[in-house]
Amino acid sequence: MNAADLLPLLRGLTWTVALTAGAFFIGAVLGVPLLAARRSRLWLLRFMAMSVIQIVRAIPPILWLFIIFFGLGMGVMPISPFNAALMGLGLIAAANLAEIYRGAVASIHFGQWEAAAALDLGRWSTFRDIVAPQAFRVALPSAASYLIGLMKETAVASTIGVAELAYQGNQLSQLTFRGLEVFALVGLFYVLLSLPISWLSRVADGYLRAKVAR
Amino acid sequence: MDGAILCLPDDDWQRGGVQPAMMPASTDALIRLKTLSKHYGSHTVLDGIDLDVRSGEVLAIIGPSGSGKSTLLRCINYLEPPDGGTITIGSMTIDAARPVARAELSGLRRRVGMVFQSFNLFPHMSVLRNVSLAQERVLGRGRAEAEERSMQLLKRVGLADKATQFPVRCSGGQQQRIAIARSLALDPEIMLFDEPTSALDPELGLEVLAVMRELAETGMTMIVVTHEMGFAENVSDTVMIMADGHIVEKGPSKEIMRNPQQERTKRFLRAVHDR
Repeated sequence: MNAADLLPLLRGLTWTVALTAGAFFIGAVLGVPLLAARRSRLWLLRFMAMSVIQIVRAIPPILWLFIIFFGLGMGVMPISPFNAALMGLGLIAAANLAEIYRGAVASIHFGQWEAAAALDLGRWSTFRDIVAPQAFRVALPSAASYLIGLMKETAVASTIGVAELAYQGNQLSQLTFRGLEVFALVGLFYVLLSLPISWLSRVADGYLRAKVAR
Repeated sequence: MDGAILCLPDDDWQRGGVQPAMMPASTDALIRLKTLSKHYGSHTVLDGIDLDVRSGEVLAIIGPSGSGKSTLLRCINYLEPPDGGTITIGSMTIDAARPVARAELSGLRRRVGMVFQSFNLFPHMSVLRNVSLAQERVLGRGRAEAEERSMQLLKRVGLADKATQFPVRCSGGQQQRIAIARSLALDPEIMLFDEPTSALDPELGLEVLAVMRELAETGMTMIVVTHEMGFAENVSDTVMIMADGHIVEKGPSKEIMRNPQQERTKRFLRAVHDR
């Protein structure tokens, strides 16, 4: 293996990063309305949100990608492999993050809601000023763990032809017949990608915890 | 403040009877509850409570655990929606029998401040922000104006030096004083205190009671659910004893505390003094 062999791996790395960041962003944003529906006073909304979360999480990611890419992509609307993977992983991330958010919101002491109500803060201000910042701190470690899990899960996108890290590794190993070195290197890249996520999560958690702990 | 008798010991209405029909309520009541009731399933927590509180009056509610004291307080600002009866604050009346509009609820809560047993400060905000936030969000004050008012209130409760700290850096007594300042920041007409010193050791409780006493002297209308018999006797104008969701007895504080008429009151006060 020489330096030139590394180039496709680095290109794959950028796709892995893009797919991870994009899917996590979609999930983080879509998880909020999903959480709102999950906690709605209307049972129909609650039921729908619960069903969506349950179904999305029960079906394996690879199947979601096949449904979107080969199902929707071939029949309903043409879609690129990357966009299909982004959509599928984003959807899965939304369901998982909605559950992480739900756990974090449920951990907020009821006295906080009561104090907000007694001060007449209203639903929006209670969420934005009181609940969300406290829930964010609670959700942070779980969300960071999920982000690392999601990064590894992006490897599934190689099955529909997204030229991400695992895909490039596979190509390279077939070209060079040096599977052990190639896949060890690919593994190292995944480890290197996970390190800053863990580090940032710990730093942010430590900072936020320090503010509210004696 | 005087210690006017609002409701003379009349057994019928003290037991949740028909007070409004039997004796006209005083016309200058700031708070008027009529046949207020609350149930949890088949359990009756408040059984048709009638109560008038005048402007500037300090009412202490005492009684055994489970008597409905805290529930009554929480019903007044709708943290617990009552099942029946009416709540009148000044000219505004809320009928528990019909759904309450958001604007009504908002009007009620802006006029009624609440201090909780467990303080319920927002732990992720500085002390100053705890006091300022609702002023900005609810009253629409600018940040500078809200902070100026907050500093005045923090000075009043003796905690201006804690403004930039987070609540967790403050003692329980300090946290409760901050909670009082936070509530006062919305310029309420009425303050409700739900066992404000129960979570504090006696010394820290004293500093909270001192702030409450000062507040009472300024003429604030206060309803205080408390186990502090000294406060009930010496600071409040009126004492009301509750048991099993009823008002057992109500009258001028010294009269009730020193010479209770009802057997249930005597038993409760005896138990308190024997501890």
